[in-house]
Amino acid sequence: MIISENVSLIYPDKTQALFDVNLEIKPGELVYITGPSGSGKTSFLKLLMGMEFPTSGSLSVLGETINKSNYGNIQKLRRKIGPVFQEFKLIQGRTALENVMMGMRFLGIKPKLMKEQAHEALEKVGLGHKKYSKVENLSWGESQRVAIARAVARKPLLILADEPTGNLDYDNAINILKLLKSFREEDITVIITTHATHLINNEKDAMFINVYKGRITAERKGLAV
Amino acid sequence: MKTFLYNIGYFFKETGRIIRLNILSNIFSIIGTGLILFLLGLVITGSDIGNHLVNMLNEEAEINGYFTKDISDSDRNELVEKIGKIYGVRSARLVNEDEAKKKMEDILGEEAKILELFKENPFEAFVEIRINVDEMENILDNVKNMKGIEYVRDNREVLEKIKDITYAFKVLGYLLIAAVGITTLIILSHMIRQGIYNNREQINTLRLLGSPGAFIGFPYVLTGILLTLLGGILAALSVVLLINTAYEGIGSTVLFLPLPSKNDLIDKMIILIPSLSFILGLMGSLFGLSSIRKK
Repeated sequence: MIISENVSLIYPDKTQALFDVNLEIKPGELVYITGPSGSGKTSFLKLLMGMEFPTSGSLSVLGETINKSNYGNIQKLRRKIGPVFQEFKLIQGRTALENVMMGMRFLGIKPKLMKEQAHEALEKVGLGHKKYSKVENLSWGESQRVAIARAVARKPLLILADEPTGNLDYDNAINILKLLKSFREEDITVIITTHATHLINNEKDAMFINVYKGRITAERKGLAV
Repeated sequence: MKTFLYNIGYFFKETGRIIRLNILSNIFSIIGTGLILFLLGLVITGSDIGNHLVNMLNEEAEINGYFTKDISDSDRNELVEKIGKIYGVRSARLVNEDEAKKKMEDILGEEAKILELFKENPFEAFVEIRINVDEMENILDNVKNMKGIEYVRDNREVLEKIKDITYAFKVLGYLLIAAVGITTLIILSHMIRQGIYNNREQINTLRLLGSPGAFIGFPYVLTGILLTLLGGILAALSVVLLINTAYEGIGSTVLFLPLPSKNDLIDKMIILIPSLSFILGLMGSLFGLSSIRKK
């Protein structure tokens, strides 16, 4: 699923974001990437999305090598990923339903089925009643749910959620994490970055990757491996 | 292809949204493109009328060959037949002395009375040769050197002018078409770039979700085509209105002017201007998109 060998990432301004990352994530795993702000969590997700390329080492995601020369295939890879961006990246002026469908339009799904999948995803995240609301009229938590619905409606193999609990109160944050974890039952690999470790301390069946100043330590708990 | 078919409705909706997003600027773009295409329509109409006029004059272009005194009637007829076969000659016809006099009377009109002063018909028979202006030199050389021809009256200056006018009309037409085409392309590609800039966040999100470039770009291509087509329709209607008005005015005041058929001209404009606007719209949009893609 994801194989990282000695991956380092240095930004053009010479900031080194990641050092020698070695890890393997298997299909269907739930992965938490933790660490303080600026530690390199988002940089790692960007690498997985093909938004950045490793400066050295090799990285393979869902069988695709992440490097500049493979850019054409990276677009195809992105279609198999359900991203939940930290700042949501919802399209303003559109309804929740339109936003969810927007992520599916180029996947070759028949319009009727596409609409059904979008409705289903919005129901799953508890926003069935707000599907026709414009996204700018939704609360932070609701917007987060729309972003999750957009990610899962595409039936991805991998969900990448960047700080999905940021700016949410405790109850909402727990609910969002529960929701994201539930997609594991559909054999989707779920990778979540968070700096709120208190929300996941009691997790018993997941892989924990701790990032500190660009260096990674990984630990598996429970049956996930 | 399948994806495109599934999303036809979406593409048109997006196009409408892109246009509405910057409605005032787009209305001005339609008017601007319409004005440019209107100018193009005027040039094409003018060029068509000019070409028609030149063709008419061309058809009337003639030289006259005068016979030597000693030539017999049968030799004259044989000579006329021979001239008729020269490359570039449209027709050759013998004009006898009486017809030559009649022609002059027609030209002189009321002043023809002056011819009554002559006891005998002063006019000679000649061969009236209608020619293709482009072949004038060759025909003149041939006819002048024929046995039985005394001299040739060629109206060379008039015929040369006709040739020059035809050439000038063509060059002017091509230059204006090129100028209008380039201007439309520049306006349109700028419009498309502006549209893409206004929607850059949405485009970026779609890219991150894995959307192919063609899927992202298609609504912008449609936008370009639609705006130019609207400009083209506006221009075509204006040109048709102008042709109608001008024909009514010219038809009643300058009766001798040989104008091409009004309906043919209108039909041509109705098809040509929108088609041209469609092609320019498509090219301009693709040009605008490709210049963005490079960045």
